[in-house]
Order: sequence, then structure tokens, then C-alpha cells
Amino acid sequence: MPTFVYMTRCDGCGHCVDICPSDIMHIDPTYRRAYNIEPNMCWECYSCVKACPQHAIDVRGYADFAPLGHSVRVDRDERKGTIAWKIKFRDGTEKNFLSPITTKPWGTAIPKLAEVPAPSSEQRDGQLLYNEPKYIRLDEGGLRTLKDAGLKLKKGVYY
Amino acid sequence: MLNPFAVAGASLPAGFLQGFLVVMALAVVLGTLFDIVHKGSARYFFANMRNSRGRGRELGGGELASIAVQTAVVDVLASGEFCNARRRVAHLLGMYGFVLYVVATAVMVFGYPGEPMATPRIWPLLWWIGAWMVMIGGYWFWFFIRVDVAAEGHSPLRLAKADLFVLSLLASVTLGAIWAALGGGVGLVFWLYLLATVVLFGGVPWSKFAHMFFKPAAAFDKRVSRANGSAENLPTQTRDDPAQQQRHSMELLRNAPMDMGLGIKREAPRHY
Amino acid sequence: MAYHTIVEDDIDILVVGAGLGGTGAAWEARFWGQDKKIVIAEKANIDRSGAVAQGLYAINCYMGTRWGENNPEDHVRYARIDLMGLVREDLLFDMARHVDSTVHQFEEWGLPIMRNPKTGRYLREGRWQIMIHGESYKPIVAEAAKKSADKVFNRICVTHLLMDESRPNRVAGAVGFNVRTGNYHVFKSKTVVCSAGGASNIFKPRSTGEGAGRTWYAPWSSASAYGLLIEAGAKMTQMENRIVLARFKDGYGPVGAYFLHLKTYTQNSLGEEYESKWFPELQKMVGKEYLDPEASHLTHRPIPTCLRNHCIIQEVAAGRGPIHMVTMQAFQDPHLEEVGWENFLGMTVGQAVLWAATDVDPKHENPELTTSEPYVMGSHATCSGAWCSGPEDVSPPEYFWGYNRMTTVEGLFGAGDAVGGTPHAFSSGSFTEGRLAAKAACKYIDDGKGEGIVVSNAQIERRRKQIYKPLEHYRVYRNAVVAGTVNPHYINPQQGLDRLQKLMDEYCGGYTVGYMTNEKLLNICLKKLAIMEEDLESVAAKDLHELLRAWELKHRHRAAECVTQHTLFRKETRWPGYYYRGDVMKVDDENWHVLTVSRRDPETGEYTMERAPCYHLVEDEEATASRQAPAQKLSA
Repeated sequence: MPTFVYMTRCDGCGHCVDICPSDIMHIDPTYRRAYNIEPNMCWECYSCVKACPQHAIDVRGYADFAPLGHSVRVDRDERKGTIAWKIKFRDGTEKNFLSPITTKPWGTAIPKLAEVPAPSSEQRDGQLLYNEPKYIRLDEGGLRTLKDAGLKLKKGVYY
Repeated sequence: MLNPFAVAGASLPAGFLQGFLVVMALAVVLGTLFDIVHKGSARYFFANMRNSRGRGRELGGGELASIAVQTAVVDVLASGEFCNARRRVAHLLGMYGFVLYVVATAVMVFGYPGEPMATPRIWPLLWWIGAWMVMIGGYWFWFFIRVDVAAEGHSPLRLAKADLFVLSLLASVTLGAIWAALGGGVGLVFWLYLLATVVLFGGVPWSKFAHMFFKPAAAFDKRVSRANGSAENLPTQTRDDPAQQQRHSMELLRNAPMDMGLGIKREAPRHY
Repeated sequence: MAYHTIVEDDIDILVVGAGLGGTGAAWEARFWGQDKKIVIAEKANIDRSGAVAQGLYAINCYMGTRWGENNPEDHVRYARIDLMGLVREDLLFDMARHVDSTVHQFEEWGLPIMRNPKTGRYLREGRWQIMIHGESYKPIVAEAAKKSADKVFNRICVTHLLMDESRPNRVAGAVGFNVRTGNYHVFKSKTVVCSAGGASNIFKPRSTGEGAGRTWYAPWSSASAYGLLIEAGAKMTQMENRIVLARFKDGYGPVGAYFLHLKTYTQNSLGEEYESKWFPELQKMVGKEYLDPEASHLTHRPIPTCLRNHCIIQEVAAGRGPIHMVTMQAFQDPHLEEVGWENFLGMTVGQAVLWAATDVDPKHENPELTTSEPYVMGSHATCSGAWCSGPEDVSPPEYFWGYNRMTTVEGLFGAGDAVGGTPHAFSSGSFTEGRLAAKAACKYIDDGKGEGIVVSNAQIERRRKQIYKPLEHYRVYRNAVVAGTVNPHYINPQQGLDRLQKLMDEYCGGYTVGYMTNEKLLNICLKKLAIMEEDLESVAAKDLHELLRAWELKHRHRAAECVTQHTLFRKETRWPGYYYRGDVMKVDDENWHVLTVSRRDPETGEYTMERAPCYHLVEDEEATASRQAPAQKLSA
């Protein structure tokens, strides 16, 4: 169901143009407002819908197979850390949903690996990745090897 | 500081400038009406409003009046709908600049058509302030803020139909400023100034000029939709509601602050 | 139009494509290369690019070793059987033993993972899958990548890899164009992690109007991983292993949570169970080792995905379609109903839109399923991609050539859909693969292997001309006609895509022919693809957006050719339900229990095909005797 932009709500800010993974939200040369230039490359990922500060973008199901008269609208609130959906069926049935989208303030819980202690040469030569082996099992166990598993790799037809 | 229109008026037939202003005003009115009727946009707008009225609760007269006032004060006078600070400032500069400029023009043309030095200094002063505000806001918008330049990466020199209003406005005001700086009078610059002005006001059926009337109506409609509960089908449930905080998975936010900051929206939409 | 050339030099690690694989590579690279220059080149905007743009509702690759839920080798066996025996078990074991640390870091970063209120553990959807609220999964991991990278170049369509001219078969960076400014970007780098997209839209989709956008795998996955790798002369593996998915009709909404958490099941239009009636015939085709319904029932060993597809395809062809997902019971439970809808909203909103449009409420009716058109990618129930080296401590000698996840081109690494032989990686596994590739790439550089790279201006200039040719071609030959899209001198990218899709569909086993092909059809396919390649020299782009589409088409075409070569080479029907070789309708373990490996010569365009032995994890009798760590039992 491709996206479309409400004429009365779009003020030409460019957030949708900037975020679209498919490069299909562009600016109309007559109105300087956004529109979907290639609906057959629209995945309905809702990235633009969520990004629009004016809620000017909405989705209408793909004409190939979706009848008119429905509405699936969203409010992604970064500050509150939630996403809210309202689904309206063609027959008027309504469903509402609210879910978390992050449990920590954005970007605050991700370390800068340039600033953590550098790996030792032993770590470099081994098989461990950053934060391992601790973060694999969150205990003092090590990285699993074929030896631990009592296995070996053998060529041939085995099932 | 003198009244440049009075200087020009001396070399023009009597009533020429006054008549010109009246014709420009009429052009805006007729152009807007033509635009609305020809495109049927008013019919769409009212049909849409009826639809959304039908979906929510009925609003009382007092409520509607209060919403109208809010629309006028916040959305119109303070250009409150703009979410981007730079765009808002540029628009305010251009909008109030244009108002000052037009009012001062009208006063000078109709009120003080005679001796240029007889015009109280305040009017040419306001005219210049208005002109500068339009030029600063307008050129800033033209070269840096325009979304097809800022977000789409087009060259600022690229012209499209959407540029008709801004370009003719900037042309008119800039030429007017040059003309006034050269002392007023009736020369080539004066006629170019008038030509740009005709394009600005005459181009209403083809430019975004008429949007200055549509946008406040749309803003009012948006507020009404929020107030009557239909909210244009947007979800209205939020984390602020204690009942929603009990919802499945919302316990994952139990220890999280109410303000998580900004993620994607932290930066301007210029990632290329 | 005068576009500038912008050169980014002295890069240590260039990450091409910042999806889950690429963000993993960029993130981890900083730890092993704190002083190294790490640059990301991404076609769209890293915050929402890739297949995880709209989010995910589950992480489908998590061992749960911290709770003793699974061991990595269990996952290997699971993936092996699902892929009918043919996988790279060394790469899989490696991915599975690291993936948990990736998931635990995601949670720490703020990804909401659902918890089981009774046990406190992650809420499992199934044995390997945990449930998350992942609408912002991509922005969160993108943030991690941005913190590690020195520079992130968004809106760069990377069209080619640069090759070292001082010696053969070593990568030197990449080139591409900026989709917004049009500028030519040159990235000179000691290593490249190719983590671009797999292939959607190379077969004709079921919906062909606007609906062509509702692909199962993102429409912007334009096979660029394969296009770049193949053109660089990297060996590819299992490219014939395309995937077909049984999903909700038209919307292609996911069914995982439905089967596993909601415990829904499928029926034909008469309300009957239908799979078991096809099993006897299928068992004759593939052998008891791969399909043993009784054993599966007893041990809970899943039936391979492709075989379940086969049952749907046959049942529908027999006239008892459509197949339904029986949801009416499960949806009576309000919690399960909520999960059923959230499952779409957090992952495939289009399915929710479709049901809203058609008044489908799974409480009151059982929605339709269908089998999709084929896709080619490497991190789902399929494993197409580059032939890569594994880890030194696990891989047999013939699968190891110095650096983990390095392709057969020196300095060129892969992650995510780009790597072949590692199915069932999904998002977390792809990110993990990126991490593994990044560490190896840093080691490669520290070992001095990236020294002395030479890239001439001639190579850079040659690529520049190639890249902008479609714009030039349009500009000139547009003058031949008055208006419109029909011009005898060129095709536009959409026309080219339509042609490619039709061709692959009809000759290489698309849905309109019941996923059926044979040697004759495949040879015709190759001939037509070759002619199309000539026509692709005349693809025309009227603006930068169309230029993007033109290069996506070229990558798709290159991948499609490779898929066809592999499909022709493997003389058996290994994955009924994904595709059929009408001339060899059996699994042939005697001759074909191997991995197919191809290499396209960049100079001549000739394909060389080989069979690589398949290694499996088997009991090591000596090791069992002296095992240190106690066996971890599977918990209930």
C-alpha cells in the first residue's frame, strides 16, 4: 500500500525525502511539497510516515489488491519511546496499539569503542569478539569450540 | 528618506499608481477565486471537513470560536505550524516584512501622493524595513532552506513552477529597493519593478500565493479534528495514560524516563 | 551536468551497505582498529536502510546459551536439515556460538526484548526465536555503527569495487555516485566488507502494478551484494538455492509468530490437513533422511521449509486451494490477538493495511496463504552468497584461507546476505557475521596484507564513464522521438526490470510456471540474459533517481545470470518447493551432496563451475572421551 502526502498538511520540510530507503519520496516541482514518485517501489515500510512531523503522509493499500476506505495511521514518539497505531477497517472496525520502541534514552547506552580499553594481542589472535566471552552467556564460561561439543567436521554425506 | 512613489507619481498620469494598486488587489482576489473554482479545491475542502465533522463529536460554538482564535494567533500570526526553526524564522521574516511593505506602499500611494518630502518619515522607513525583511527571509530561503535544495540536493539555481511566487516576490521587492535607492522616478528600473509586481500578483492562479488563504483554513480544520476526537484517524493513545502504561510490554518502560531524547529526529534531514 | 569527483583515501575498512551486516562490521571494526579509518558507504539513509527498515517483531537466531537453552551445534543441525543438508557448517557453528553476545548487546543498547513473566528469560517464540518490539531496531544499530565509523556516506550507490592493479585478485576499494548531488565518489581502501543487499525482484512478482512494491524482501535489496562480488571475480556458492516463502497472500505478512506463538496451523479450502497426503510421494523424491514424518513427530524435528512449500503448491495445483491459516481459535484470546496484529505493525505494516482494507479479522475468518515468487539471498531459510573462508579453529583446511569471512578475493569480506552457506542467520546472525568480518579485516591489515595497493587514474576514469553512461545515453537519444518512453535506442530501468523478471520467471522457475525449470529452459535463459546484457549497455536514465534504478538493474541482472548458471549446474531437485528440475526430479546425494561454487571471469565473462565437498559436524569419538565442558542439555 503505497504512501501519499496530504496537500493541506505538508509544509515541505524534507524529512521524508531524507529517510526513504527506496529513494521514492521527492519534492513536487509545482507545489514544492512531497509526493511518492514510484509507488511500485514502495514497500510501505512507513519510514516516511513516521518521520513526518506534520503527520502529512498516509498510506493507501496497493491498488492491485486492496479496496479503498481503510486507514492505518501511526504516531512514533521518540521522546516517549513509544509507537502508537490506529487501524480502521473499511467496515469501521477500529483497533489501537501502543508499544515501546526503546528501553533507554536514544544513543546513551551505546559505548564508543574508540574509548574502551584496547584488546590484548591474545584476544586479537583468538576467536573472541568485543565483550566476549562474558556477553555470550553472561557468566565465566568461554567461547564454544568443536572440542567442547565433542564434534569434528567430516566430508561426506551425513544427515 | 523620501517617498519614492510620490517622486514617480510626479511623472505619471494622475491616479496611475493608485489604480495600479487597486488592480493588483483585484488580481489577488479574482485569481484566488478562479484557482478555487477551477480546481474545485474548495469543494474538496468542505467535503473533507464534513467528513471529519461526521466522525467526531459535535463541537459547540464557543469551542469553535476558541479554536479559530488559536488558529489565528498561533498558526497564522506566529507561523506555528512550521516544525523547523529556520523555516519558521524565514517565513515570519518574509510574512511580516511583506505586510509592512504592502501597508506602507498603500499608505504612501494613497495617503501622500503629492510632495515627496511631505510624507512622515515613518512610512518610507517601514517600507524599507519591510523590504529588507522580505529580502533577508526570501534569499535565505531561496539559497539554503528550500527543500528541493536542502533535502534533495538540487542546485539553488534550478527553477521549477513552485518557485514562481518566491521568485516574483523577491524580484519585485529587490527591484523596488533598487529603484527607491536610485531616488524613485520613472525609468527602466521602475518599469521592471512594476512588471515583476504584475507577475507576482497576476500569477496567483499558477503560483503558491493563494496558499496563504488555504493554509489557515487547513490549520483550523486540523485543530477541529483534534478537538472533536477524530484526529484525522491518527492514534491518540500515549504513554502518559496510566491505563496504557499497564499494557502488554509497556512494563519494559517501567524504569525509563518520560523523555528519552531524540534519535533519528536529532539531525536535520540532509544526509547526503 | 558537471559532477565532481570526490576521493576518500587511506581507508582501512570500507563497509559497503549498512544494513544489519554492515552496521555489525562498522561497529566491531572500531574495537579491533581503534586507530583505523572506518568508512561506511550506504545507498540510502543508514537510519532506515536495508531489510529491517520497518522493524522486526522477532530475533530469529538466538541460542539462549546463558540459560542452557541451546548449543550452537544444535542450530547447525537445524539449519542443515532445513536446507536439505547443504550448508557451510563451519560458518554456521561460528555464527551460532557468537550470536548471543550480539543479542545481549542489543538489549543493553535499548532494544525492547519481551520477557517471559514466569521464567524471567527472553520470551521465546520458538526454539531459536525470541520476541522483540523492534520497530526501531535499525535506528538503534545504526547509532552503534555511527559511533564507530569515522565517516558515514549516505545516498551513495556503490556500483563497482576497485581492484588492485599491482597484483591480481585483490580489492582496492569501491566507486559509486551520490544519488542526491550526482557526484562521483571514489573510496580507496585496504579492505572492503561487502554487506549490500540480496536479490528481490529478479523474478516476476505475483502483484505487478503498485503491488510490485509489496515484495517479501525489501524492493531496495537490488542484488548489489552479488553484483559487486561477481564483477570482482569472487567465487559464489549455492546461488541456485533461491527461496520461496509461504506467507499471507498479497501482503506477504510473516507467519512465524502465528505458527510458533499463536499455535495456528494451515488447512486447505475444504478444512482438511493436507501436508501428510503429499509426504509419501515427496519422501520417494528426497529420501527418508530428509523427510521422515514419524521421526519428526517424535523428535520435534521440523519439516524442511521447502518441503512444506511443496505441499502447498501441490495442494493448490490439485484444486483444493486456497490454503488458509486457521486463526479463529487463537485470536479469541485477546493477548494473542494483540500479538497477532503487533507482529505485522512491527515488521510488515502492509499486511495490516491489507486486512484493514479487506475487512479481514482473523477472529472471524481464516486468512489466505500463498507461496511467493522466488528471492535470492543468504540469511533466511536459504544460503546464497559469496564463498568465504571460515574461522581457523573450526574450518577444515580447504575452507580456511587466512581470514574469517573473507571471499576468494583478497581483502574482500562479506557479511549478512552477501555470505553464502550461512542460512538462518537473520538479523542478529548477520550483525554477528559483520562483527566477525570486521575483526578479520583488521587482522588482515595488521598482518600487512593491504600494503602496496595500486589504483590507476585510468581505472577510476573508466568506471566514471561507465557509471554516467545511462544519463548521457538518455540525453543524446531522447532527441530521436517526440515524447514518451518508447525509443528504439534505449530501454529505461523499469522496462529492463520487467524484461528480467519475465525472463527469469518463465525460464528459471518462477511462480507462473510452478517453479519448474529444466536444462533446455535454463540454456534458453542464459542466451536471453546474454542478449539482455548487450541491451543494458543502452539503458537510459533521465535523472539521478533513474540512474540509481539503472545500476540496481545491472546488479540484478548479474546476479540473475549467476543464479541461472548454478541452477543449470546442479543436476537434481534438491529443494522441491523452492524450485524443480523437471529433467531430474530427485535428490541425488551420491553425486550432488556438494556445494556448488562458481566464478565469473571479470575479463571474459566466462563461468567456471565446481563442486565443493560438504562437511558436516559429526561425533568426534576421541574428543568425547576427553571432553572438559559438560554437555548442556536442552531445557523445556
